[in-house]
Amino acid sequence: MNNLNESLKQMFVRLGSMTLAVAILCVLAIASVIGTVLLQNQEQADYLNQFGQLWYWTFRSLGLFDMYHTWWFLTLLAFLMVSLAVCLWRNVPHMLKEMRMRKVVITDKSLKHFHHLHHWKLGDGADMADVKRLAERELSGWETLEAEKDGAIYLRGDKGRFHKWGYILAHAAVLIILIGGWISVHYGFRGNMSVPEGQSDNEIEFLRGTAVHHLQMPFSVRCNSFHIAFYPSGPPKEFRSNLSIIDHGKVVMTKDIIVNEPLKYKGVRIYQASFGDGGSAITLKLFGLDGSEKVDTVKTRVYQTWKDPKTGVSLEITDFRPFNIENMAGAGQPKDFHDLGPAVEFIVRGPGLKPVKIKSYMNPFVYDGQNRGTLMEVSESGDGKDYQPFLLGLDFTNPKEWELFHAFVHAAANLGGSNTKEERFKAFNAALKQVYGDKRPKDFQDLGVRLLQGMNSLPRIPWPFIPILDDYDQVYYTGLQLTEDPGMNVVWTGSVLLVLGLCIMFYMPHRKLWLVIRPAGKGEGLEVSVAGMTNRNLLGFEKEFQALQARLNATFESS
Amino acid sequence: MSVALANQSTWESLSHGRPGFIRFGAYLGLILGAVGLAFYGSGGYDQQQYLFQLFSGQGLIWCGTGAIIGALSSAVLSTLRPSIADAKIATNLVSWLDGAALLLLLTALLAQFEPPKSMISFNDQSNLFSGRVIMTMNVVFIFSAVSYIAYLFAPDSFIGRLGTWTAWAGVYAGGSALLLRWHESYLINTDIGHAPVSNLYEVFILLCCVTTIVYLTLERRYQAKAMGAFVMFLVAAAVFFDIWLASVGEASIKPLVPALQSYWMKIHVPMNFVGYGSFSVACGAGMAYLWRSRLEARGSNARVLAVMPTLDQLDQLAYKAVAIGFPAFTLATILGAAWAAEAWGGYWSWDPKETWALIVWLTYGAYLHARVSHGWHGRGLAWWAVAGFLVTLFCFLGVNMYLSGLHSYGRLS
Ligand code: HEM
Repeated sequence: MNNLNESLKQMFVRLGSMTLAVAILCVLAIASVIGTVLLQNQEQADYLNQFGQLWYWTFRSLGLFDMYHTWWFLTLLAFLMVSLAVCLWRNVPHMLKEMRMRKVVITDKSLKHFHHLHHWKLGDGADMADVKRLAERELSGWETLEAEKDGAIYLRGDKGRFHKWGYILAHAAVLIILIGGWISVHYGFRGNMSVPEGQSDNEIEFLRGTAVHHLQMPFSVRCNSFHIAFYPSGPPKEFRSNLSIIDHGKVVMTKDIIVNEPLKYKGVRIYQASFGDGGSAITLKLFGLDGSEKVDTVKTRVYQTWKDPKTGVSLEITDFRPFNIENMAGAGQPKDFHDLGPAVEFIVRGPGLKPVKIKSYMNPFVYDGQNRGTLMEVSESGDGKDYQPFLLGLDFTNPKEWELFHAFVHAAANLGGSNTKEERFKAFNAALKQVYGDKRPKDFQDLGVRLLQGMNSLPRIPWPFIPILDDYDQVYYTGLQLTEDPGMNVVWTGSVLLVLGLCIMFYMPHRKLWLVIRPAGKGEGLEVSVAGMTNRNLLGFEKEFQALQARLNATFESS
Repeated sequence: MSVALANQSTWESLSHGRPGFIRFGAYLGLILGAVGLAFYGSGGYDQQQYLFQLFSGQGLIWCGTGAIIGALSSAVLSTLRPSIADAKIATNLVSWLDGAALLLLLTALLAQFEPPKSMISFNDQSNLFSGRVIMTMNVVFIFSAVSYIAYLFAPDSFIGRLGTWTAWAGVYAGGSALLLRWHESYLINTDIGHAPVSNLYEVFILLCCVTTIVYLTLERRYQAKAMGAFVMFLVAAAVFFDIWLASVGEASIKPLVPALQSYWMKIHVPMNFVGYGSFSVACGAGMAYLWRSRLEARGSNARVLAVMPTLDQLDQLAYKAVAIGFPAFTLATILGAAWAAEAWGGYWSWDPKETWALIVWLTYGAYLHARVSHGWHGRGLAWWAVAGFLVTLFCFLGVNMYLSGLHSYGRLS
């Protein structure tokens, strides 16, 4: 039994030891690195891809993909808490006692050990009371106590006597912060909600570990509208959602939120976190490529897939954006931003077709005042970074150009198909006449360029039709983050105490000073000693002590 | 290193006693006037407009009245109770406030060289005057570093003073360049206007200045001149990095993404850099320690050993620097958490930048404990200070370059 007690005590001592503190801090630091190098909470499939079977399972069993919530990391934090508690438990009583106790009388023997020490011998005429008075005047900034023993006068001065409170506050504060964090994790929540404009929702979604969880809110949130403002150079300037809180079927609050300015209802804070397309209505025109000049209209929505029953070709609409601001300047030139207008993104799939991602613009690409026809961007990899521009040549917003294209193709074929420049020019003129009559369009030269570009690009398209964005009715969704965090105020309390404690610890060192006045011997005047010590900031104290010494010197000399 | 006693120069006597105290009162009044303007000025407080208000007639009236009242009341106070004129707060702060006032004046002067408003555009920022001031800062800091390094090998007091002077000149150039950029961002477009702490280029200028200021403060207090070579070497390295950033087109003023549009940014980022700057100084002290202990071990009798702080003092200086940096960094991290709580709904989300801030904090926390527990001594601690700086460096540079997360403001593109 005794043995057990002993070893428990031993353990207790160890837990509060400084070496352990250093060790825990270092281990925590090293462990934290892992989670920053390994991206956390990604798709499992991505991890598997990245690391392969062996490492994936090793990492996964150690919980490294959601490291900061694993039992072993939490154990480390708990260990820190225990260690802090033990260390406070052991140190606080004697620190409090030490702050209360101030020994004035000091033995000669301990005086000798002081690093900061100086003696004066004052001449015969000096009077102890006078010297004491003078010395006290120089110690005006110090909290002094005095005592007499064996004919000697002892003065003790203190500065920063409450220094140890810094230690107590700072260490207790870390404990409080950790407790606050624990409360946050256990009694708080934090999750996301995507609400399309005009709709409402009352369920948040969050990750716990690697699984997605849902939680019902005690109210619902309706997104009345969502709005983005842009800087002239393109990047977004502000995301603003107009929200209504609906509690028991009644609208209880309607408010705008922006990033950095959340709203609060029933202890839940609602933040602007992200946005996206909320299922905009999209109208596409499909320009048939079978030579029939036929144009179909398709109505669909973002996130839906439209399938052509005849050919089996499908369009999966992935995104829509009303603004597409791009820098048109070449590398090294001053920037030149243009809005290319609305564009829809979709993936084209079909029998015998390689799936590709397309971004189709509604407006023709006009640059330097010249209409260069409708623009499409093509990404063979499906990644937005790999988009390559593809100019269709024709301006598809103008139905006459589609007509002209076919007229030209026919005219060229009728002319026998020889491909000389004159022949083409003749065909072009014939086609112009057929479509426009005698009223040639003013920009017919540009038109010619577009037509040639079209002759070049359209035959390269492998699909049975060209989908072009024709009309849209935009709907955003606003990405909200909803949180409740009862531990937050505990954490803030701890934080204030921590900073306060650190400032006391570093900037208010405890400085102690003893001044001893005693008769040097019969008729030999007085001997004055001054000794000082500190527990922090030795350099600063050295200066302070020397300045005091110099002042005392001057005082004693002039007396 | 001898501790200087009672050799107060005329300049120092100006910041002690009544002249200093009256100035202190004036500055305090001025600041209160500016705060009063924010709260009670006509038109109310508006983040975008406040700066303009401050420099308008209204601002002049508020701040001027505040300054006059402050000066008068401190004059009266110090006549009634002469001992108050030596109050520590006043004597310690007044030289900082002088410096800040000088910096503002210098900026106001330099702002006169800006091109006319019609010539200022977002797309071509090469004509902005801050660019030239930053160039000056670069040159001056590099010169200072060279002087300090020369001082190691030829400890001549003139070379030493040259180093100190140029270091101060660099601080003023850098500080005023940042303030100019602040002003310029509003000139380009009031919508774009923001504090100059929003991208890597700007915060590196801040880092150079803060590091130098922390070092110069320690130098003045503790006559630690020979340590300057090591600190200013780091500053010069930062300057070269900034020159490189400018050469790859990272120097331009860009609009703020919505997440950064918050007053927290103005407090959180500079506070962080007080921490980073102090840790760089601690690293300088650590390197100086290692160098000196190497020289001593070899039994060298280089002249510099006589003017260089002793090993013990260098150890103390590293500690002093960490003692400045650690509370500042703690506060900065807490401010960051407060910002995150306000902007994203959680004070801590284990985002790589946050986590690395924690790692830095733990590293220096462990350093402080290792010191007290006597397990580590001299060289070990000096190495720790250097290693701690490498961790710090990764925190504010490496994370942006190699890891992803919410703090992508500094990402290199
Ligand atoms: C994250 C947690 C901690 C922080 C931020 C922290 C902070 C500090 C700081 C800043 C100092 C002052 C060092 C100096 O003045 O140079 C200190 C001292 C000290 N710490 Fe901690 N500490 C932490 C954890 C611990 C733990 C876990 C223990 C015990 C196991 C501990 C025990 C001590 C002791 C005994 C001292 C010396 C106090 C003195 O003599 O004045 N600390 N701590």
